[in-house]
Amino acid sequence: MDAVERENADRQKRWAKEQKVGEGTYAVVYRGREVATGRRIAIKKIKVGQFKDGLDMSAIREVKYLRELKHQNVIELLDVFSSKTNLNLVLEFLDSDLEMIIKDRSLVFLPADIKSWMAMTFRGLEFCHRNHILHRDLKPNNLLIASDGQLKLADFGLARDFADPGHKMTCQVITRWYRPPELLLNSRYYGSNVDIWSVGCIFAELMLRTPYLAGDSDINQLDTIFRALGTPTEQEWPGHTKLPNWHQPSTTYPKTPLRDLFTAASADTLSLLGKCLVYEPRKRISALEALNHPYFFAIPYPTHPSKLPRCAAQLASRAAEEAEGGDIDKMSTGPGVKAAEPNNRKRKLTSPEEFRVRSIARKLDFTKQANSP
Amino acid sequence: MPTADAETTAVTTKKPLYEASTQFKHWRYSPESLADVRSKLNEAAVAVIRQTFEAYEPGSSANVLFLNAGEEHLLVTFYVTRITQLCGHFRFPEEVEATAATYLKRFYLKNTVMDWHPKNVMWDIQFQERLTALFLATKTTNNPISLEAYTHNIPNTNPSDVLDLEFLVAQSLGFEFSVWHAHRALWGIWLDIQALDGVPTDFAKTQTSLYDTALNYVRASRLTDAEFIYTPSQIALAAFSLAAPEIAQQWLKSKQAVSESNPSSPTQIPPGILGSLEFIKGLIVNAGQPPETEAVREVDRRLRLCKNPEKVVGSKAYLARKAEQEKKAEEKRNRKAMEVEKAAAEGVDPFGDELERPKISLVDYDDDDDDD
Repeated sequence: MDAVERENADRQKRWAKEQKVGEGTYAVVYRGREVATGRRIAIKKIKVGQFKDGLDMSAIREVKYLRELKHQNVIELLDVFSSKTNLNLVLEFLDSDLEMIIKDRSLVFLPADIKSWMAMTFRGLEFCHRNHILHRDLKPNNLLIASDGQLKLADFGLARDFADPGHKMTCQVITRWYRPPELLLNSRYYGSNVDIWSVGCIFAELMLRTPYLAGDSDINQLDTIFRALGTPTEQEWPGHTKLPNWHQPSTTYPKTPLRDLFTAASADTLSLLGKCLVYEPRKRISALEALNHPYFFAIPYPTHPSKLPRCAAQLASRAAEEAEGGDIDKMSTGPGVKAAEPNNRKRKLTSPEEFRVRSIARKLDFTKQANSP
Repeated sequence: MPTADAETTAVTTKKPLYEASTQFKHWRYSPESLADVRSKLNEAAVAVIRQTFEAYEPGSSANVLFLNAGEEHLLVTFYVTRITQLCGHFRFPEEVEATAATYLKRFYLKNTVMDWHPKNVMWDIQFQERLTALFLATKTTNNPISLEAYTHNIPNTNPSDVLDLEFLVAQSLGFEFSVWHAHRALWGIWLDIQALDGVPTDFAKTQTSLYDTALNYVRASRLTDAEFIYTPSQIALAAFSLAAPEIAQQWLKSKQAVSESNPSSPTQIPPGILGSLEFIKGLIVNAGQPPETEAVREVDRRLRLCKNPEKVVGSKAYLARKAEQEKKAEEKRNRKAMEVEKAAAEGVDPFGDELERPKISLVDYDDDDDDD
């Protein structure tokens, strides 16, 4: 065996696959462990043999960017190795994603919680943009949540470097509901502000607990946006009618203040949200500016990541993890208490004041736990 | 609450982005360590190949004149020039060419020329690893081309010639695909210069030849070790300095002024920059040209006699290695079949076990994973 192949084999031996946890069109995800430390990891196995052009672009993008990006709010790529016709990415293990948390009806979000998730999202995104990388697929289920509550940007399969001025890029990126109007109008020249629009949509979704701009087709998406934010005028978005896919809409929607829909939001909140959802891409707020927005410095301060709401599945998985780890103390009260275990843990992580505020969520959560098989 | 000022300071005192790159962390050498890497690689390769020769035909290695590290390096430099030709053929952007050249140079810091060489005996024909490095570069720089179109345009090539080595090339690169290039830095310097005091507004129009000359020096630097020793911006400045020393000096002074007025600025000029510049200029002028055809021809002729017989399709050693691999695969298949049989004999329910039973899986998801 040659030196390079031997090194690859050695890398492979450092990681143990345990259980298959998901399967997509081009990859299988396994849960596993670092052999030396027992640390939990995830292995994303990409089947390469099936592609006639070899290593496919999304795998290459993911590896290229994650190899370079090391940040608390970006998923960590621990290792890469190949096995015959497969490429294996060893990633840090993350329990859940923001979509699961948004959908978990038993959880109540405080404004401070939303602020914390937004701060972490903007921090991760600012780091990507600082490194001249566009994510191009931000949505709640690509924002993963670690067991310590940290939010991490993941799935860099559509990411790319900033293009040179005048260099065309594809507009077929970003999941529809989070896609900015310039891409829906087939603009081929764009920048980091496309990601900011997505973050705006996620921000709104955290408050509404349902997708904010949920169009049912690409054509309908634009209509959905205009209905919510008013049809753009030439003044607020100069030149948009010259974009390739522009058609004069039959209805002109008036501007309705964000306040009408987000009734409970503070003025700071709506100010930042509005700046993310500006039609004119160049006037949209940047990630760095967003981090300096008064919203993040006003009361309530962002919740500490460890005290953020977490969903039942995540808690169950953590409890199972501890049971597996042979934590006898926690198990000693007998099997009857087992179901409540996650809630007990949660209380430990929460300060007394927060416990009072969260009691409703806890109660619902508790019921759900008890009823679940 | 941090003030706006504190925030700005926090941003500016961060280390340069370049220093967080894999290029900075894993692909930087001193001239001495680079020479050391190459000679160690060469020694190890010769030892292994000599052994292989002996294993199949005792005494056969005695008269083989193996390549030394310098000769290997000469060939690699030659391969880099061929990348340029290929890129011209496809009209690939500069980014693709520069990336492919870097991949190839990095590849040969981990692999010997004597292992991975021509699939064909004609010295002038396309080399596999070069094809693969270039194909990979089209993808990693976001300029993908279909493999079919790619091989169609290169005579005597099959898709498998390119794909067979893709993993090996990627592994050799440590899956670090991102490369910082001097030509990008040069463009930045060129833009900066246009904004300098006293530079006429039509400078970019009237002086394009300066930029082109500098770019050609950057291209010449790709045939040298400069990128392993210096940063892209140092190489770019050296190239510009060769084209227009006075303007380069003026640019450097403007940066100095910035860094003195704000000591924490990331543009601070490290001491010794002038010495580095002179060294890079020397490298470009002395080593930045294609090797002599005659010298390459001579080394290549000897290479054909000393390359690893296990890699020469059809040779005794190659066939023996294939047979060995086949035997292992066969053993593995048998072992798997036995396991499945054993599981079936124990009456394992295909729909899953009782919870407490030891796990025996009928479907092996890792089937193609355990290389041995």
